Amino acid sequence: MTGNKGSSKDKLVTGSHPAIRFEQVPIVEGSLHKLNEMRASILRTTEANTFADFGTAKLDLLLGEALYAERSRLKREKATIFTASRKKADQALWAQVQSGLLKPGAEVDRQRILRNVIHHYGDEIGGHFDNNVYWFATRSVPWFFSWLLNAASVQRFLPWGMTEALASRLTIQGEVSSLQRLAQKGTILLVPTHQSNIDSVLIGYIIYLMRLPPFAYGAGLNLFSNPMLSFFMSNLGAYTVDRKKNNPIYKQTLKHFSTELLERNIHSIFFPGGGRSRSGAIESRLKLGLLGTALDAQIANLKRGRPNPNVYIVPMVMSYHFVLEAASLIEDYLVEAGKHRFLKTQDESSQFSKVFGFFWKLFSSQTGITVRVGRALDVFGNFVDENGRSIGPNGTTIDPRAWLTSGGELRADRQRDQEYTRELGDSIAERFHRENTVLTSHLVAFSFFETLRGRYPDLDLFRFLRLSESQRTIPRAEFLQHAEQYHERLRGMADRGQLHLSNDLLNRSTEDWVRHGIKHLGLMHEAEVLRTDGVTVWTEDMTLLYYYRNRLAGYGLSRLADSLEKDSARMQAGRERARDFDAQGFLA
Amino acid sequence: MPKDFWRKGKVAVIGGGSWGTVLAQIVSENCDDVRVWVREEERARTINSQRKNPDYVSELQLNPHIKAYVDLERVFDGGVDGILWVLPSKSTRIEARRIAPILKGTEFLWHATKGIEPGSLKRMSEVLREELPVRRIGVISGPNLATEIARGEPAATVVASSFNEVISAGQDLLNGSKFRVYSSSDVIGIEWAGTLKNILAIASGALDGLGLGWNARAMLISRGLAEMVRFGVAMGGEEGTFLGLAGVGDLLATCSSPLSRNYRVGSGLAKGASLQQVLEELGSTAEGVQTSQVVAAHARDHGIYMPITQAVDSLLAGGVTVRELVEALMARPPMPDRAIQ
Repeated sequence: MTGNKGSSKDKLVTGSHPAIRFEQVPIVEGSLHKLNEMRASILRTTEANTFADFGTAKLDLLLGEALYAERSRLKREKATIFTASRKKADQALWAQVQSGLLKPGAEVDRQRILRNVIHHYGDEIGGHFDNNVYWFATRSVPWFFSWLLNAASVQRFLPWGMTEALASRLTIQGEVSSLQRLAQKGTILLVPTHQSNIDSVLIGYIIYLMRLPPFAYGAGLNLFSNPMLSFFMSNLGAYTVDRKKNNPIYKQTLKHFSTELLERNIHSIFFPGGGRSRSGAIESRLKLGLLGTALDAQIANLKRGRPNPNVYIVPMVMSYHFVLEAASLIEDYLVEAGKHRFLKTQDESSQFSKVFGFFWKLFSSQTGITVRVGRALDVFGNFVDENGRSIGPNGTTIDPRAWLTSGGELRADRQRDQEYTRELGDSIAERFHRENTVLTSHLVAFSFFETLRGRYPDLDLFRFLRLSESQRTIPRAEFLQHAEQYHERLRGMADRGQLHLSNDLLNRSTEDWVRHGIKHLGLMHEAEVLRTDGVTVWTEDMTLLYYYRNRLAGYGLSRLADSLEKDSARMQAGRERARDFDAQGFLA
Repeated sequence: MPKDFWRKGKVAVIGGGSWGTVLAQIVSENCDDVRVWVREEERARTINSQRKNPDYVSELQLNPHIKAYVDLERVFDGGVDGILWVLPSKSTRIEARRIAPILKGTEFLWHATKGIEPGSLKRMSEVLREELPVRRIGVISGPNLATEIARGEPAATVVASSFNEVISAGQDLLNGSKFRVYSSSDVIGIEWAGTLKNILAIASGALDGLGLGWNARAMLISRGLAEMVRFGVAMGGEEGTFLGLAGVGDLLATCSSPLSRNYRVGSGLAKGASLQQVLEELGSTAEGVQTSQVVAAHARDHGIYMPITQAVDSLLAGGVTVRELVEALMARPPMPDRAIQ
């Protein structure tokens, strides 16, 4: 990874035509290739550590509660042909647990039941990696996309560059070379924003483009019920995370598994927001449980004096003009915001034709996906330089050992480490916003929404979203004027490093980027999100518009948010914490 | 933490004013190596040779475990385990920048600075976190008039941090037969309480300057406390914190002590002197003057109702008398006796 690394990085960061030839890129050896050999040992350690956590707990109570939670989960869950066998195995396990718990402790050993449960979970979580399948997948994915491309647009067919076409749809920017260097100095934990189930496939591919060894994924178990995604994911180092399993036994098993991977130098990916962003906004509240395993792993490595002990957290932000599942995500969000909780199990990403359609659109139109690799952070949320050293204030370098030393001894401390992880979470959320690349479609959605909102300042979110079609039409000239003002503000923010603007936003005239934005916004939805006839602009789907508009929430850009916040002093509690909602219930 | 960790450890006290000196004395009961950083060579010599700091706490006989230095390198020689930060708020950022390169990162730091950074409205723990390569930071705050503690009278304080280990280490280090240390995790509330009470100290001095009695003062303290709660909660603090030692406790001590500089500003203004005259007479600035202006402006911008603070702000601006302000405050429409509506 020396010599030509610089040149490949240059091509990657300059954007739309990286022109990478796959046949020339050697697969970099990484620990994940050894995952299959290590799998048994990783699971053994995971299970032993998890068991040790509960050694002194009241096992009857612990198992009883888990039994109850799992039973009701299984009752709610509808099995498909892909999940039926898993469900059956689950039911068998818990039936066994129940009959065991009904017998006295002298007859049936509780510890043994616990071991069985942990083993069952460990088996479900532990993914496996197959070199042959990886080889096949990294070749078949471009092939698959090229085939789509050819069918979709014959003109752009290039015989030598079938695969270049996919790369040309992806703009990868940011700290690529520093990521490549750090991958050899420690363990990388890639933390991307999460909007769509497509993310997983793309990230795997992006990692490959960046010539990094494959990463282990913590992917939602529901994804594995989609045959197409499952094919790519289980073979690209994915392990499963089931957010529906809420009991402490499962959570600990998952944490120990993740810690074990990181300790063994296996680069990993978490979506720190948990699931996909329902509102369309960039994540500001992160799930800290799994994130904390980065610090756990680093402490374990430091204590054992292992080489390359550090875990580096690399935020990554993906920007799309359209999100396949936008309609059902925002519906979910609004239902929840409206307090009638319910969970959808099916959405667009689980339908093969929709996924197919996504890629079809991606290639048949001149649209693209922008990905930004952020500056690496250490386990405390400090920046890390290219050599893997943590940067402190006033030109100081931070030795992680010092920050982990308490009472003269390097050791883990639960409360201290939770606090460090909370601070790391804050840093990641801040970096997400700063590393975000705003696309033309985001800005037209935001400008239109806010302009319209200015006309109905008293409506709350739900009444606003129900405006009639004539009410949600505004003159084009007025819209352009507002769009230009927001553009100006964003430019200022970009200059201050608060976010990034896409090349289209930087280089095109107002007329031009607005046209581009309207054309690309939510390109593949049945209703066109924004339409214009040259005189007026209107939206055909307010909720989708809200979804895409929310991409720019959390920056304090909303015109009404400023004036509304004065209504309530409580609302701006803790300046460092982002305000989530304005007084009318809009994501601010 | 090992049992005798602090006994054998090293603690640096940054700032050798009255509170810094008294804190060093308290810590020296639990730690055998306490180094105080002072600015003047002369003061360091007096402390080291005569065991006294006559300009600030003349009656206090200092423990031989305490050494004073002018040179920062010597204070931190060989590394320290704990740092007590007792500098005024306005010099905190500048001095932190100088000290940053000397630190190792293992240090625990507690600051006892009551005040905020004016422009940014940042709390001292935020400023220190931004400037120093340490993360384990706490705050010490409470009704702690240094001269009384120097005389050996009993007192209590609060140590707050988001790190439990910093809280318990602070207790180990400061607890003594005459000094009781309570714990809190509400850093924001504790820091704002210590800052906001200075505004009311000015108001209290002003009432006294008019020769008013206990009813008026009780009204000021309880309604002033309501304002502190309102502002503190808006900044992210917890309501309950203001009912504790660092809130109402410190408020009572400050508002009834004619010795405090803030109090003297208020009484001077009530007697008809201008702010400039009062400050000249004091020979130094009072933390509450700047705080009043900053907090009043922020409260106005964000719709936080703080009539007493606004009155103190206009009193400091000049042109109105205390009597007129009291009349205006009394003439407001009736309202519920609550901090948060």
